Amino acid sequence: MVNVIYTELLKLKSTKIPWLVLLGAIPANLVALFAFLPKIAPDGTPAGIDIQDMFYRQGMVLVMIAPSIFALFTAYIISREYQERTINQLFSYPVSRARILSAKLAVVFILIVMTTVLSCIAVLAASLVKLLQGSINFDIIWLGLKMNVWVCLLSFGTVPVAAAVTLIAKNVIPAAVLGVFATIVTVIGEIGHGQGGILFPWLTPYWPVRHLAQDIADLADPNPYAVPALIILSATFVLSMAFSLIYYVRSDVHSGS
Amino acid sequence: MDYVLRTNHLTKRYGGKTVVNNLHMNIRQGDIYGFLGQNGAGKTTTLRMIMGLIQPTAGEIELFGESLFGRRARAMERIGAIIEYPGFYLNLSAADNLEIHRRLMGMGNKEYIEEVLSIVGLLDARNQKVKHYSLGMKQRLGIARALLHHPELLVLDEPTNGLDPAGIKEIRQLFLDLARQRGITFIISSHLLSEVEQLATRVGIIHHGTLMEEINYDDLQRKTRHYLEIKVDDDKKAAYLLEQKLGLSDYRIAGPGILHLYGSLDQSASVNLALTSHGVGVKEIRLSGDSLDYFLKVTGGVPLG
Ligand SMILES: Nc1ncnc2c1ncn2[C@@H]1O[C@H](COP(=O)(O)OP(=O)(O)OP(=O)(O)O)[C@@H](O)[C@H]1O
Ligand SMILES: [Mg+2]
Repeated sequence: MVNVIYTELLKLKSTKIPWLVLLGAIPANLVALFAFLPKIAPDGTPAGIDIQDMFYRQGMVLVMIAPSIFALFTAYIISREYQERTINQLFSYPVSRARILSAKLAVVFILIVMTTVLSCIAVLAASLVKLLQGSINFDIIWLGLKMNVWVCLLSFGTVPVAAAVTLIAKNVIPAAVLGVFATIVTVIGEIGHGQGGILFPWLTPYWPVRHLAQDIADLADPNPYAVPALIILSATFVLSMAFSLIYYVRSDVHSGS
Repeated sequence: MDYVLRTNHLTKRYGGKTVVNNLHMNIRQGDIYGFLGQNGAGKTTTLRMIMGLIQPTAGEIELFGESLFGRRARAMERIGAIIEYPGFYLNLSAADNLEIHRRLMGMGNKEYIEEVLSIVGLLDARNQKVKHYSLGMKQRLGIARALLHHPELLVLDEPTNGLDPAGIKEIRQLFLDLARQRGITFIISSHLLSEVEQLATRVGIIHHGTLMEEINYDDLQRKTRHYLEIKVDDDKKAAYLLEQKLGLSDYRIAGPGILHLYGSLDQSASVNLALTSHGVGVKEIRLSGDSLDYFLKVTGGVPLG
């Protein structure tokens, strides 16, 4: 399996995928840096840099962009085999199709992690400085890291949906449209700040982001929608994953004709 | 007899259309099997089923003496293939493409990559991206890839597509060498009899999805030999005269009043003279019978043999 994943990574050499990773990561860094704009505390004195606020901004922007970028990763990695007519060869190996699809989705997960890590660079640099200055303790940073781990995991929940539509179309277009649509809904949902928004699977990753901000916003209660949202996301994942696997394994391959 | 590949009642239907119809192919170890058919005859569809890319509607496939069902992976390690078009990751170099192949085939040795690249004459271009390759170069790289994991069977769908005449000759020689030196079995599809007749030890002709005929090289040679077709009013007497007066015995009576004379293709004038001067009426003498004729006859829907 490691071998198959390795070949999937090698296939991305000199493609536009690294740029797509940066495209997903840079806005979160920029918006996180807005925290450096001069601010006035309620008592009229200048307020310092708030790491928790930076993480919140980073997470919020990442979660907005994620649906589009992550859907594109998935769509490209799956559809290129049909577009570049390599699918005949790919399916002629002593490797099961289920394994090939799993390796592809594993690479999508790796790209999600890379995008997330890179999106944290600004806030992590600021954290390190503050940590060395002794002006914050590690708990805040830990909270932010935990949020990002959750974002990765929850974002992966909708990846098989992008995979499924790509398998049917054999090109990136439907997944791209789906991604943009999900991003728009996500932006609206985040602006609305309603707690029920996370029931939309592509907005579920916003739950840990909001959770991080809860002490800022003085909302101590856990989000009442968390459990149903997780159930919906899990069901989305399981169903679309099952569909994708069955479709991939069963389908006749005609590409190249 | 060791069969590398057999198909039993192999059938593929798309909608109501039968594209491959009840195919019984038999390919023995060491055969170079020319799989011949016109455009749309069902060659690629058959090869796709053999490679497990599409599911047969009915029938079964036996590879290396075992049913393909449930044992696909093990068979695939022993097969090299080019189906329809040699697809590569265009953003990668030839060497990287072969590295992917090597890993997915589960092969340990990296040195073979250079070895197969030099066999097909692409060693110098190994670090070039495949997107800068010509179709002929891709075809060669496809052959290199098919060879990399030391397969016992090569399934090649029109492998000389895009090659120039010199390249075709060279690749044909390569196939012959591989067959001789490594005992590799080949299935080579083509729509040209001329392309496989210099290579094949056995030919299968498919037409509208039906395997019209499987024929050994020697029989094929016999059937595709040129001959003089002589139409006369008295075939018995003509035959007697050919033997007695001209010493020609390599002929056969193909029908009432029709003789096929093999070998002595340049003797039509003397044949004509000998027959007419002994009172046999000669209606026509013409040169006929070539591989194309034969192919057309078979694919004209008339089963031969
Ligand atoms: N996916 C499909 N759906 C419907 N019909 C198909 C499909 N694939 C192939 N066919 C039909 O099956 C027939 C055989 O096609 P195939 O590609 O096997 O021919 P071929 O012998 O390889 O021809 P060529 O020499 O042109 O490569 C053709 O009539 C084609 O239209
Ligand atoms: Mg074909």
